[in-house]
Amino acid sequence: MFYSILFRNQEQYELTRRTDEPDCFKDLNLDQIFAPILKSKKEFELEGFFYTSLHDAETITYRQEVMGELENDELRRLFAGFSKIIYNLDRYMVSTRASLTSDSSYDNNYLTRGRMLDYADRYCSEISALAAGLNGKTLRSDGLSNFAEYLTAYSESEAFKGLCTHVARLRKELSRVEYSMLIKSGTIRVRKYEGEDDLSKQILACFEKFRQGEVKDYRQKVIEEPAAAHVEAAVLDMVAGLYKDIFADLNSFCEKYLHFLDPTITRFAREIQFYLSWLDYILPLRQAGLPFNYPKLCNTAEQLYCRDMFDLTLAFLTRDKTVTNDFMLNAPERIIVVTGPNQGGKTTFARAFGQVHWLASLGLCVPGSEAALYLFDNILTHFGREEDLSTLNWKLQDDLVRLHGLLEKATSRSIIIVNEIFSSTTLSDALTLGGYMMDAISALGAPAVVVTFLDELASHGSDTVSMMSTVKEDDPTQRTYKIIRKPPDGLAYAMHIASKYRLTYKQLCRRLIK
Amino acid sequence: MKVNLMFRHRDFDIKAKLCFGKDVLTSDLGLERVLSNMARGDKIIYDACSTALFCPLQTIDEIRYRQENLRDALRKPDTVRKLYEITVETEKKRRSSWHWLSSAYLSSTFSSAIELLKIYTEMLMELRLVADSKLSGFQSEGFRNLLTMIQRELDDNYFTKVQTLLYELKDNDGMLISARLGNYLQGVSYVLRRKNRKGFWFRWAFAPSYTIAPRDDAGATDLSKRRDRAINEATNALAQAAEHLEGFFTMLRVELAFYVGCLNLADSLRALRMPVCIPNVLPLERQDRSWHGLYDVSLALAKNEAVVGNELDTADKRLYIITGANQGGKSTFLRSIGQAQLMTQCGMFVGAESFSAPIRNGVFTHFKKEEDAAMKSGKLDEELSRMSEVADHLNPGSLMLFNESFAATNEREGSEICRQITKALIDCNVEVFSVTHLYTYASAFLNDPNTQFLRAQRLENGERTFRIVPGEPMQTAFGVDLYRKIFANSKVK
Repeated sequence: MFYSILFRNQEQYELTRRTDEPDCFKDLNLDQIFAPILKSKKEFELEGFFYTSLHDAETITYRQEVMGELENDELRRLFAGFSKIIYNLDRYMVSTRASLTSDSSYDNNYLTRGRMLDYADRYCSEISALAAGLNGKTLRSDGLSNFAEYLTAYSESEAFKGLCTHVARLRKELSRVEYSMLIKSGTIRVRKYEGEDDLSKQILACFEKFRQGEVKDYRQKVIEEPAAAHVEAAVLDMVAGLYKDIFADLNSFCEKYLHFLDPTITRFAREIQFYLSWLDYILPLRQAGLPFNYPKLCNTAEQLYCRDMFDLTLAFLTRDKTVTNDFMLNAPERIIVVTGPNQGGKTTFARAFGQVHWLASLGLCVPGSEAALYLFDNILTHFGREEDLSTLNWKLQDDLVRLHGLLEKATSRSIIIVNEIFSSTTLSDALTLGGYMMDAISALGAPAVVVTFLDELASHGSDTVSMMSTVKEDDPTQRTYKIIRKPPDGLAYAMHIASKYRLTYKQLCRRLIK
Repeated sequence: MKVNLMFRHRDFDIKAKLCFGKDVLTSDLGLERVLSNMARGDKIIYDACSTALFCPLQTIDEIRYRQENLRDALRKPDTVRKLYEITVETEKKRRSSWHWLSSAYLSSTFSSAIELLKIYTEMLMELRLVADSKLSGFQSEGFRNLLTMIQRELDDNYFTKVQTLLYELKDNDGMLISARLGNYLQGVSYVLRRKNRKGFWFRWAFAPSYTIAPRDDAGATDLSKRRDRAINEATNALAQAAEHLEGFFTMLRVELAFYVGCLNLADSLRALRMPVCIPNVLPLERQDRSWHGLYDVSLALAKNEAVVGNELDTADKRLYIITGANQGGKSTFLRSIGQAQLMTQCGMFVGAESFSAPIRNGVFTHFKKEEDAAMKSGKLDEELSRMSEVADHLNPGSLMLFNESFAATNEREGSEICRQITKALIDCNVEVFSVTHLYTYASAFLNDPNTQFLRAQRLENGERTFRIVPGEPMQTAFGVDLYRKIFANSKVK
């Protein structure tokens, strides 16, 4: 029996989800990646789905298959409109139900009942349209085919058919109601309409012969909404007295169908947005030719890789100029140590490594043409931070305190990403502390990326793989942004950058003398 | 009437263009906390002190002028605060009177101007009373000139004259208007006239008259138009006077605000038992510094307790390299120097027992920063780009403070970049303080006679005193200690 499009069954759906951003989001720029999605889909409250990583491969596969199927444009369009309307109807009905069960005639009146009939009408046509749209389509994924089956059964159920029939009958009856209001000295009177002529038409007809040339249009835009709902409701009460049977039918409709929305369908309407929002989000990158894939999830770190991986935040800036990178870890390799010239894409590489893992754990398609990624329990990151006077916590101490906290939390199933720490101490100190850190990570046995300026860490042990950011051979000031497997070569690129900023000794003297 | 408390011969422009890098200096030197403490929630004080701080004076004469005034303020805090309160009160009364000069109706501007002038007159009288009773206690040129000017310009005769005038303008007995004849003998050049000549009412009593009929609305309108024409010039004069007075009170408030800010800060620091002193200023070409008990004012305010100060006495130095243990007080030391330099050059006291330093034509900082969230550049790139921007504004005679700059690459590369930049700066007569962990860089200047090496003090038992003392760089920075402390008793090894 279909329950959720994001989870294989009700038990999994009911597991607790995170409501706050995981710690690694800021360092990995995942906060920036998800922000536009969460903002544009605010009403769907998708935060929990993006903040909670999955730890079982089956559910991830369940999602990957659904998402893969939704890459079909026609199917996606079908669900997009449906999802938005049904989900909104569900939300409107919450307040409508509250009004209709209230004792106050200010809320509980024919105006509110009329709204409910309208929602039900729209609900019926959306369900019927989707059922018709899916009819005859072969769906491959478990999630979508189960849902389609559920929807067909529902749309053919007596309950749903009864709802549709009742809505149609009421619409037809209500279309026959016609009444007149007499307003005098603050008084409105209401009667059935009795065939009186249209005064405007007669006035127009009467003065038609004087008409000559263009004149100013004195009409104003009128909004066809009652300005004061209680007045409108009072009028409706009078009308109801004139058409007792029809309004009695409406009353019984509202009582009978107060909960007309099917909870499984409304749940689907919300959850499908998880997939739709992601596919919409990455669309511009796909159009720029960047690859996405559905990675294999691995329980062991025997062989992990991702080809043509890239950092999503950067890709939105560089589009078709985006440089992609590969990584490959074959046991016993577990720790990637990235060195090389600055501004060569080392941090970006580390971020991308974390991003593809997080995204994969949500069951989303991830940057890269092909990938096998680790089924982790937690991603732990440590990126350099600015000194803050008010905490009175100095840089090196902060580095160590946070590194300690990170290692305390880590297990062999964690993913560790450390970016440029110990840069605020001497070379010899940094080497000693860096060595301690590598020992600790190595002992953990967890996959890790360590970005460092300490070339020595790249040859720490048999589990370390050295990768380097590279520069163009003919012009060392030009970065390729390619990170490749290669031992560190400690070349001095820094002076090239210094000269780019006119800050070598000679250049700076010239600037100061002016 | 000029206030001239900030400059001997000119006004203090609170909107003056501030020196380069104001925001960076504020954050690197912890100045936000200092300014907030000076302001205590008063935006005018904040702005005045901020402008003063970030428009460093360039001559000893200008600095001494403010220092003298400040000495007076510290001697007579109550009077200075009282004067400031009068300006605040004036502003408050003006606002709550609901009189605005910019009305579409002339008659309304006219009466507003009169009401505002009444408020200002009343407050001027208060200033006069303070001047009368407190002038003798002041010695500085600035405050004496201000108070004597108030006495001279605002004597009793003046107040009598103003009050009579304002009373007459509100007078309901009538409006006296003179006019000339225009081209068809119409009344032109209306001038409002006074009615206080001897025998005035007697003579006017027998003048011929015309009365507008009870229901003659057009007639009534005509009369009010005439009044408007008559008060046009007068209104202009009144409104301009009101605006001038508003300007005077604003200027008085702004210039006093700086001294009140100083008083506030001095009170806070004294409450923490931290010393303040008026610094001794040396000319730009000098290269010697000496101080006693110099401390980080911002840190003292942040911790709300006494903090450690430092000593220094050097001559002919252009470069100061500070090395040593992490958490040994190096950044704090650097901040205290930057603060003291800016505070000195705006005429303030500094946080020290004694302080003597040359004028510098600019103060610049280059502190290590967090990685750029927008990802546009790597760390070293960002540091170099910032340095290049600073270089555009540096001049011989500037003061440059480096805090662990160019360490975002390996030690060899960082040292070389840092060495070349530092060497270029000192060779071009820029004074440099450099906190660094780059041993290779620091040791490159070991034989330079114009370099002073300083080190974060560490006792035999490994304890840090947070004092910075003379000492050459050593190879290790005691990070391992810290590691042992944090990782002690931990399952992680």
